[in-house]
Amino acid sequence: MSMGALEQLIQVGEKAAEPVRDRMIAELEDVNTLCATYRSRIYRYALLSLRDADLAESVTQDCLLRAHRARDEFRGDCSVATWLTRIATNLIRDATRSRKFQFWKTAPAVDVGVLADRLRSPGLSPESSLVVREALAKVWDAVEKLPGKQHSVFLLRFVEEMELPEIAAAMGLHVGTVKSHLHRALAAVRKAKERTR
Amino acid sequence: MKTTHLSPWEQEEYVIDRPTPQMLRHLSECAECRDAVEGLERSTAIFRSAATEWSAESLAARPRQLLVGAGARRPVTALRWAIVGVLPLVLMALVFLGLHPSLHPVRPVAAINSSNNEANRDDALLEQVDEQLSVAVPASMESLTHLVSTERGNGAGADVGAPGGKPFVQTN
Repeated sequence: MSMGALEQLIQVGEKAAEPVRDRMIAELEDVNTLCATYRSRIYRYALLSLRDADLAESVTQDCLLRAHRARDEFRGDCSVATWLTRIATNLIRDATRSRKFQFWKTAPAVDVGVLADRLRSPGLSPESSLVVREALAKVWDAVEKLPGKQHSVFLLRFVEEMELPEIAAAMGLHVGTVKSHLHRALAAVRKAKERTR
Repeated sequence: MKTTHLSPWEQEEYVIDRPTPQMLRHLSECAECRDAVEGLERSTAIFRSAATEWSAESLAARPRQLLVGAGARRPVTALRWAIVGVLPLVLMALVFLGLHPSLHPVRPVAAINSSNNEANRDDALLEQVDEQLSVAVPASMESLTHLVSTERGNGAGADVGAPGGKPFVQTN
């Protein structure tokens, strides 16, 4: 067994020590703490997955509420964030399957040009700003076109900056499968970036 | 030391997971592979920044909502038990109030008699007024009194229309 695989087992498979688990359960016990700590994170994941602010808010509320209600079932074998991500992933999948979402999916949800302008640093030349804007438009478009699991895995790795074993636990996949999805997603992004040249 | 460039897969592997020492050594010496890897990292970084910005802006525009129903499980359960406990008492109280004789006072016989006496007195007074009015009819309208008396005799009141359709004149 490689060192990487061993580390993954230690990180995910091993149950958290009692004090750590107690702290996690305390987090789940208090709704206000749960909301303050994880709302923005879950909302971001839901918004980027669904591209609909109302639906994302609904999923976020539902996710936090379900976690709070099912706190007695939390075994502490992963972090609260990972557990919440798993719940959110299931809720997002359900929402994506709904007919309403299928209907609204075609509507553009974000103006990438406006986002690029906001990201522009004050010292950047107009030419560099244009480059950033074009690059973002290509990457954004490529990521939006990724199929379901690749898209989710990409978001969790590169936006939420989760480790591979955490993503695997949240998505219910093997680490190897997660890596495979990420390779394909990055290949798509690379291809989109090359088209800008 | 690896002499060939990193393959696209290895470049992606560098961005996705932890780089191997061989990769790091090669990247320290190869500007071309370093550019490729940094390009991939820039792409993911710019996406992360834009995504975070969009999400933060969207979240800031929304009112902070409380978790509807959070913690509601226990109070609702308690409320149910409270209702189960209190409902029989309420029903018993309603039954008690409905059957208690003090809440349905029986009218005394004397009160009924007195109200009958009042009705009789009223009738007598009305008859007296009728008689006085009959006496007070002016001479010019005396010829009409037999009509009134005829109608009265037929059981109709003074305000009832005449057989010809014309109303009777009210006398005082």
